[in-house]
Amino acid sequence: HACSPPFLLFRSFSHLSASCTKLSTMSGAPQESKVVRDFKKVLGENERGAVAVAAIHALTTMIKESGASTIMELEILLKAAQEQLQEMNFEGQRSKAIQLTAACELFARHVTRTALDIGNFDACKKRLIDRGERFAAQADVSRAVIADNMLPFIRDGTVMLVHGYSNVVIIALTKAASAGIRFKVILTEGCPERDGFKVCEELQKAGIPTELVVDTALGYVMQEVDMVLTGAAGVCESGGIINKLGTYQMSVIAKEAKKPFYVAAESYKFCRLYPLSPTDLPDAEKEGPPVMQNGVKVRTPPSDFTPPANITLLLTDIGVLTPSAVSDELIKLYY
Amino acid sequence: STPEGAGSGMKALEEMLDKKAAAGDGGEEKAESEAGGDAGGDKGEAGAEKAGKPKLTKAERREIQEKQRAAKAAAKGEAPPAPAAKKAAADQPASGGSEKAKEKGEDKAKDSKGSAGLKLQYDDPKAMAKAKRNQTVHRTEVQKKVPWFAHLPQYEREASLSSQLSERAENDIHPEVLKLGLKLADWLIVGGNNRTVAMLQAFSKVVMDYAPPKDHETGADMSRHLDTRLKPMISYLVACRPLSIGMGNAIRWLKGKIAHLPPNQSIQEAKDYICDQIEAYITEKVVFADRIISKHGASKINTGDVILVYARSSSVEATILRAHRDGTKFRVIVVDSRPKLEGKKLLDKLSAAGVSCTYIMINALSYVMKEVSKVLLGASALLSNGHVISRVGTAAVAMMAKQFNIPVLICCETYKFSEKVMLDSICTNELGDPDELLSPALENWRDVKDMKLLNLCYDLTPAESITLVITELGHLPPTSVPVVIREYRKEVTL
Repeated sequence: HACSPPFLLFRSFSHLSASCTKLSTMSGAPQESKVVRDFKKVLGENERGAVAVAAIHALTTMIKESGASTIMELEILLKAAQEQLQEMNFEGQRSKAIQLTAACELFARHVTRTALDIGNFDACKKRLIDRGERFAAQADVSRAVIADNMLPFIRDGTVMLVHGYSNVVIIALTKAASAGIRFKVILTEGCPERDGFKVCEELQKAGIPTELVVDTALGYVMQEVDMVLTGAAGVCESGGIINKLGTYQMSVIAKEAKKPFYVAAESYKFCRLYPLSPTDLPDAEKEGPPVMQNGVKVRTPPSDFTPPANITLLLTDIGVLTPSAVSDELIKLYY
Repeated sequence: STPEGAGSGMKALEEMLDKKAAAGDGGEEKAESEAGGDAGGDKGEAGAEKAGKPKLTKAERREIQEKQRAAKAAAKGEAPPAPAAKKAAADQPASGGSEKAKEKGEDKAKDSKGSAGLKLQYDDPKAMAKAKRNQTVHRTEVQKKVPWFAHLPQYEREASLSSQLSERAENDIHPEVLKLGLKLADWLIVGGNNRTVAMLQAFSKVVMDYAPPKDHETGADMSRHLDTRLKPMISYLVACRPLSIGMGNAIRWLKGKIAHLPPNQSIQEAKDYICDQIEAYITEKVVFADRIISKHGASKINTGDVILVYARSSSVEATILRAHRDGTKFRVIVVDSRPKLEGKKLLDKLSAAGVSCTYIMINALSYVMKEVSKVLLGASALLSNGHVISRVGTAAVAMMAKQFNIPVLICCETYKFSEKVMLDSICTNELGDPDELLSPALENWRDVKDMKLLNLCYDLTPAESITLVITELGHLPPTSVPVVIREYRKEVTL
């Protein structure tokens, strides 16, 4: 019967407690709260849906339906909801954890800011719901904006190298192909998940000629390509990115071969992290204990950090940014 | 006078000095009487001492100056030379250094730090001349100037800085500021934060003790008058020891606060308001900022880390003590250098707290660098292009760390952020007492021909060597300094 401490304040709001408290039964299976259910519902509806959009949607719904009467209450509810969202498991969770945290923190920040701007609670709540719903709508649009921003970078005859399964990249390349640009894509296999094959499938549907190479062939093919493109799980304050394992070494080889390294990321992936080395990652992305395979200890770190010095440009829905501009945006957002 | 005029003016000055040297006594008298009149345009008492003239009002002095200038121009047929140069030449016949400098006419006009010293362009002769004229305290130039740094003030250690002040007409330096200046000049108060806080506290006392003239009733009157009262005090502090950029920012903030007092306050209310504001500034920008910086910095220190620190920074010290209190197991390597040996005090503090420390001199840096996991450095100022001004030696440490791919973290409060841009450590720097570098072999360096000792205080670390800046706003890349200045400008000026 784990009763989370913040809810001791809510004894009088029992209906809130019921929806928000996570009760662990004796069997150990946690009961899902409304927030989590909403989140999963939105995620399930949209096949390529962004985790952040689903989270903001769930949080907005929570605010709409809550009976809170002060900002302080709302902030406490939000904090609890954020914890629940972060603790739950869902498919593809590993690479989405940062996005989720970033979106929740962003929303919390919006709440505080709006509260400072507007004194009246009801007006404030209305504005928050309005903003939350607009955010969800805008987030869907953000991928289209990125696709538009990317068009000038792809010309006829371009050969690009793509790593990792990123919805943004797939949508953008599909759009470029439908705009009539003729280009070729070389994909990395992406062991151990081998998601290069999935990306290949998607791109071939759009009629883009693709080739797959093994991960160890990066140095070998780098001469042939004109640019390197990848998505991001999270964009850090320094302008560096956290992404699937293999992104860092690809960036190093690209820098050595003087090829531009582009990252496509939506603005809700900007987070307040500042890793100092490829291994200085938040817990969700850290390397787990090694697995035993055929009597051998095998290490499979899930992600790595690419420092800003190796990144040429970030293609985002707020524009095409240099790595140093990311901090500019974050400061404007959070202060 | 136009720049060309000044240039030809310099040439005219040189010719005149040559003639003077050739003519001997006759020329000497002529130069003196002219200089006397000009000097009258500056501090009345200096001119009075030299030429025995009575003290004149500013307007009269200006008239005489103009007349002499016109006469000279007519006689020579070219633009007149800068009056301050000749005045300085007449003023310090005793100093050997000025003899040498007289031959290099250009240097003369650039030779001093003056009024606020806040935005002084060292290579602008007119600005330097004006600053020199407005100086509160005149310090003697060193005998052997290092040519590369000839544009910066290089002063001899004074027996008594304050003796000149007793000869001044007005008793306009508050005793707190007097004490502060003497302590600064002797390097008894060291460190960016300490100096800024001490200075603000001294000014707080000045404001409290401010006695308005008879006809000033309201706070608004005080705000106008207080500024003029502070000017000579600031000039005095600058003459004792040049201000750091953080101190300059604090002064600018204070002047802004004084200029924008809330309306309709009595004098006492206004005084209280200003003192409260100073108190709040110190608390927010220094004390609390250091606490938040130590929290953010400690979050970057992990178990098993080997942290390298250099010299002594209050925010770095706070960070390490905080991380140690949080229970993280790490060790520290303290790098130190002559002549200041500030690392020793840091070593004392850290060892007393139980942090396991190693102490090396800076020449052993490359030897230990391979063991280091992070470098933590302090800053005197952060510039708009991301470069860091810090104690001399910091650049070497940062660049060595970069070579070994070790992350370099700078701890800096936001009040030290500046809109300036510097590309090297030569244009603006502070030169300390060359005698600090003495060792038995160098005892008689002044007698050795062409030997000069250089004691630099600050250097510039390029932004590329820096990984992360820790401020009270959180973790920032060095390129974000102008963003912070832009976003917080409203806070600072109003």
